[in-house]
Amino acid sequence: MASKVYKPVERVDEPKTSGTPVEHEPLPELGYDRIPKERYTTPEYMELEWRHMWSKVWLLGALERDLAEPGDYICTEIGRESVILVRQKDGGVKAFFNVCPHRGNRLVAEGMDNAETFKCSYHGWEYALSGRFKNIPNQELFPQGAPCAGLTELPCAVWNNFVWFSLDKNVMPFDEYMAPLKQHFEPYHFERMTLTRDVTMEWHCNWKTSVDAFNETYHVAATHPQLLWYLNEMDVQIDCYDRHSRYLVPFGMTSPRIDRIPEIPPPLKFMLTEAGLDPASYQGPVDGIRKTVQKHLRENAGAEGRDYSELNDDQLTDDYNYLVFPNITFNTHADHLMLFRHRPHATDPNKMYFDIWMLEYIVDEDELPDERPRHRYYQYGEKSLGMVIDQDGANLPNVQQGMQSAAYEGLWLGDLEVRIRHFHKTLDDYIEGSD
Amino acid sequence: MDLGLRDKRAIITGATKGIGRRILEQLIAEGCTVATCSRSVEDVEEVIEKCSTRKAEVIGAACDIKDKDEYKDWVDDMVARMEGVDIFIPNVSAGGGMDSEKNWWKNFETDVLGTVRGCEAVVPHMQEAQSGAITIIGTTAAIETFGVPQAFNAMKAALITYAKQLSQFVGRDAIRVNVVSPGPIEFPGGSWAMLKDTMPKWYEKVMKDHPTRELGRPEDVAKCVAFISSPAARWVNGTNLIVDGGFTKRVQF
Repeated sequence: MASKVYKPVERVDEPKTSGTPVEHEPLPELGYDRIPKERYTTPEYMELEWRHMWSKVWLLGALERDLAEPGDYICTEIGRESVILVRQKDGGVKAFFNVCPHRGNRLVAEGMDNAETFKCSYHGWEYALSGRFKNIPNQELFPQGAPCAGLTELPCAVWNNFVWFSLDKNVMPFDEYMAPLKQHFEPYHFERMTLTRDVTMEWHCNWKTSVDAFNETYHVAATHPQLLWYLNEMDVQIDCYDRHSRYLVPFGMTSPRIDRIPEIPPPLKFMLTEAGLDPASYQGPVDGIRKTVQKHLRENAGAEGRDYSELNDDQLTDDYNYLVFPNITFNTHADHLMLFRHRPHATDPNKMYFDIWMLEYIVDEDELPDERPRHRYYQYGEKSLGMVIDQDGANLPNVQQGMQSAAYEGLWLGDLEVRIRHFHKTLDDYIEGSD
Repeated sequence: MDLGLRDKRAIITGATKGIGRRILEQLIAEGCTVATCSRSVEDVEEVIEKCSTRKAEVIGAACDIKDKDEYKDWVDDMVARMEGVDIFIPNVSAGGGMDSEKNWWKNFETDVLGTVRGCEAVVPHMQEAQSGAITIIGTTAAIETFGVPQAFNAMKAALITYAKQLSQFVGRDAIRVNVVSPGPIEFPGGSWAMLKDTMPKWYEKVMKDHPTRELGRPEDVAKCVAFISSPAARWVNGTNLIVDGGFTKRVQF
């Protein structure tokens, strides 16, 4: 039987007007040095990261839709800090450290709710939504006066359905930090997508071990063999920007590693069916499914009530996978966004929190969920997160333990793993570039 | 035991890959001349070049067995080139799937009509010779519930009934008609190798349902097809030989 002849993936070469740029950036020359393992395992490096990186960057805090009404707030934790993001009466959003300046008690628990004011459970110090003092019980007991004006406010930015904050009051402007990704993301219109899943799992690995697992496609063949029948993990376009990066993974075809295809693989049948095509009637080559689905979705978008006008054809099938430095993975698709937030543990470099936010572009009102999905929190292994993430999750604690071995010196990265190298370069810039 | 296949002439449809190809190789090893077809002329040329030996030759031509006239012309052409036909193995299948009604049409056209039309084309030649063996490829999915209620299972079941009736109809001309029904067969490039990756839980379950905890191999089927198609199986007619390593659990009285 004649084996498949490999042809390079055809890609869109012109972006839509004001659409997501498709140009392939020249790969940065970052050498081939080993990445020291201590970055993943030691409290010392964890502390450097905290002081010079986490405290200086913009961080993702919430979905804007979750802060619809004045007083709606989300309390989110990042490392040793806890932050309150709250909708103001004037429509704005403010961010505060979640700490009472009196004796250091945390004001609210992690999660979301609505509040008229924030009142400390310890001695009853009370704050308005604006963060200013509302009431200090028996204020005459403090002849020295109040310690400050109220809660400590943080820089906060609302963009594209997401609320961001920074722990650094002197952080660079948000737009400058995000560049050039605003232009990349806005054509997807995340604001029209609905949250359908909100899960956190505690993983027994460093937060970077988790980031790395979604920053390269080299692991697909060994870790996710089923995906070889669904996507091309070898012919990916990798683009590194100032601090962020992306790769573009063609979906709707098989891997170059698959040289004999007996029939349309089940995941590609699923893709055809999802697009409204009948797998039994499809007569073209299996690797032509990508273009067929793109064409069909484009032609039928109007009838389906979907607006793909700002997206190019590849975006209708492919995974445009972004890392927003330092810790957000955006798997962007025309009809959904699978977002991962990799959060460090407060004290242990061998633990982290893996958040999944699933957003879907649902146009049929009958298909909208009745209510926002409740946030679920799981310990490692307590619950399946789906086949692919379970496969990644199964590797990570073993990688973290293995890295502690005397025999292991650090990450030995290949060309398909260049985003990991670029990520460490960015991390270096923060740690070495600071005073 | 000598199967008596030396210098026999066999026609097998679509034997350029998979189990069919392994059957072709077995027949060549036993000394048959084998004719085959594929929609792709390159695939036919490849199997002719790779599988022909000094003692036994593969011949063939491109043919779409879904085209009734093209199919009959191809059979007649192969019979003419081999100066007769002793064995016919209709092997082409549209495969499984429960995507739409289209699956039923495809399995009817390819599996059922692809077998019936082929039999009708070879039987006159075999009647003339007053000798012949037809071996139809079935599946264990036709005799026990398996997977999903798909067209493949039911259309293959139709072939088992057809084979039995045909065996009675042409038996007086010394033409035998049998079915070989394989269970799950795994090989590189085959469906079960793909399912091992894409539906690992299903694959594991099916594997564990085998007494030996492994799936069958193409040669397991090929050897049985060679035997049942050979003069050594002279007194086997109208049967459905299950080749599944004990996968199916029914008692076959």
